[in-house]
Amino acid sequence: MYLVLYNSYDTAALWAFRGLKAHGLNPIELVDADSLVCNPYFEHRIKTNQVSTKIKLPDGRQINSETTLGVLNRLQSIPTAQLKASKADNLYALQELTALFVSWLYSLPRPVLNPATPQGLSGEFKHASKWILMANSAGLTTAKYEQDSYDADKAPFRWIGRLVPPETPVKTVFVVYSQVVGKDIPPEVAEGCRRIAELAETPLLGIEFSDSFNDPWTFVGATPFPDLTLGGEALLDELAHALQSKREGHR
Amino acid sequence: MILLCGIPSEPPIALVREEIAKLGLPYVTFNQRMFDDMDLSFNISEGQVKGKLRVGQVIYRLEDFKGVYIRLMNDQLLPELKNEHANSPRRRFCLALHDTLIRWCEVTPARVVNRTSAMASNFSKPYQIQLIQQYGFKVPETLITNNPELVKDFLHKHQRLIYKSISGVRSIVQMLEQKDLNRLDLIRWCPVQFQEYIEGSNVRVHVIGTSVFATAATTTATDYRYPQLSEGSSTELGAYTLTDETIRMCINLTSHLKLEFSGIDLKITPQGEIYCLEVNSSPGFSYYELSTGQPIAKTLAQHLGSGISTQ
Repeated sequence: MYLVLYNSYDTAALWAFRGLKAHGLNPIELVDADSLVCNPYFEHRIKTNQVSTKIKLPDGRQINSETTLGVLNRLQSIPTAQLKASKADNLYALQELTALFVSWLYSLPRPVLNPATPQGLSGEFKHASKWILMANSAGLTTAKYEQDSYDADKAPFRWIGRLVPPETPVKTVFVVYSQVVGKDIPPEVAEGCRRIAELAETPLLGIEFSDSFNDPWTFVGATPFPDLTLGGEALLDELAHALQSKREGHR
Repeated sequence: MILLCGIPSEPPIALVREEIAKLGLPYVTFNQRMFDDMDLSFNISEGQVKGKLRVGQVIYRLEDFKGVYIRLMNDQLLPELKNEHANSPRRRFCLALHDTLIRWCEVTPARVVNRTSAMASNFSKPYQIQLIQQYGFKVPETLITNNPELVKDFLHKHQRLIYKSISGVRSIVQMLEQKDLNRLDLIRWCPVQFQEYIEGSNVRVHVIGTSVFATAATTTATDYRYPQLSEGSSTELGAYTLTDETIRMCINLTSHLKLEFSGIDLKITPQGEIYCLEVNSSPGFSYYELSTGQPIAKTLAQHLGSGISTQ
C-alpha cells in the first residue's frame, strides 16, 4: 500500500494524492493527521534490528509498516483539538505524541518523501542561516546573510528556511532523490540543487530562487515542505517514479 | 579562545571554567544572567562566518573563538526577567540575543559542545534508539501503545517492564507494578512507552572526542539517578573498565550523532551483553566527576582548546 499522510489544510497533498492515483499507484490511501491522533489502536515496537508499527484508524482502515510500499509524508503538526485535558497535560501529551510520530515516521520502510526528523515531521526545517551556508557549499549563488541581537523578530520567515518574506515572488526548483524538476534551469544551478539536497539528506526538497531580473538564480531559501502544485505534471512523474522504486534505507 | 555559555555557577560550567583557567587558555563567559550587557551579531558571506560579541565594554571577534561550550537554561525563565511582561522589549532582546547565539553556534566552524541540531535526537527516545542500534548496540525491546491488552502480553513475555516518557521531557524511570496495572486503561488517552527491564550494571560512558570515561553505578533503585525514591536504596559510583570494542562503539556512536560530548547510558548484563538505553547530548557530568575523580572537565577543556570541529 502507498500512503499520503497530510494535515487537512494541505491542499497540495490532496493534489498530489489525486495525481499519484492517476499515475497508477495502487493501492494508495490518503490519511489525515486527525485520524492518526484519535486512532483506536497504535502499536509501535522496536527491538534490536527490527521496528514495526500497526495502526487501526477510526474508519477501520489499517496501516502496517510491513505492507507499506512507499510514503508521501506531508505531516506538519499534531492536531490538538482532540486533547481535552488540562493545559499542562495537553502540552505533555503533544510532546509525547510528536516524539512517537517522529519515531514511527522515521521507521517507515523507504521510499519515504520525507522521513521524519526531530526538527520536522516531514523532514528537517532548517533556519535560513544554515541553508545559506549549505547553499554556498553546494556552489549556489547566495545573498549575504546578517543577524544580530536586535533584529531577530523582524524576520520570522527565517525560521522556515527563507531569506525573503512570503509575499516575495520566487521560482521553485524541486529535487526528488537527485532528480531535478523545474523550467529552464542552468546546468550549474541544477547541479547545485542536487548537491544541496544531498547535503541536507532530504530526498524531496523545494529550493527557492529570486525571481527578479537583476539577480536570477540567487538562492533565497529551501524547504522539505514545498508547494507541490508548483511542480505540475513533471513533479508528479518524478514523485510517482520515486515512490515505485526500491530504495536503500536504514532498514 | 574559548566561549563558555550558560550560568557560570552551574557545576558543569564551573568545573570546565576552572580547568580552562588551570590550562592557561583564554576564555570569555557569555553569562546569561548578564544579558543586558551583551550583544551579538554575525554574517555569512561567500561561505565565511564572521561577527562580533560585546560583553560589557569589550568586543570580541567571533572568528577568534575556536571552542564553544554551551549549556543554556531557558532564557525566558531567567530571574532577571521575572517582572517583565510577556512581550516587553527587554524580554524580546534577551530572546533575540539567545537566538543569535544559537544560530551562530549552528554555522560557526568552531568546535561547539554541542550544536542544538546534534542534540535533537534526544527529543524522541524511540527515534534515538533506532539510531543507536544502527551502530551495533543492542537495545531493550520497546512497546509504545495505547492498548492495555498489548501491555499485559508484553509484561507476560518479559516479566518485568519499565515505563518512561517518549519525548525528551525528563522523566523518572518507573517499574510497572500492580498499582499501575489497575490504571492501565488510562493509556487509551495517550500512548505510553514500555521497555523490557534489563538486569545488569548501569554504566554511564562520557565520550569527549576520542576520550572515554566509564562510570558504574551500583544501586538497587530502578533509576539510579533517583535512589531516594526507592526505599532503602542508594547509589555508589566508581570507575569502570570497558572493552576496546565497546569503547570503539561509543566513540563511533557519538561521532555519528555529530556530538562532541555525550553521556551514553549502558546496561551490562551478567552474561556480558551490552545494551544501550539512551544517549544524553548535554550530560551533567559533574555528579560523576565529583564522585569518582575522573578528569572529565579537564578533558573537555583540552578538547575545547584544541581547535576546529570535525562535525
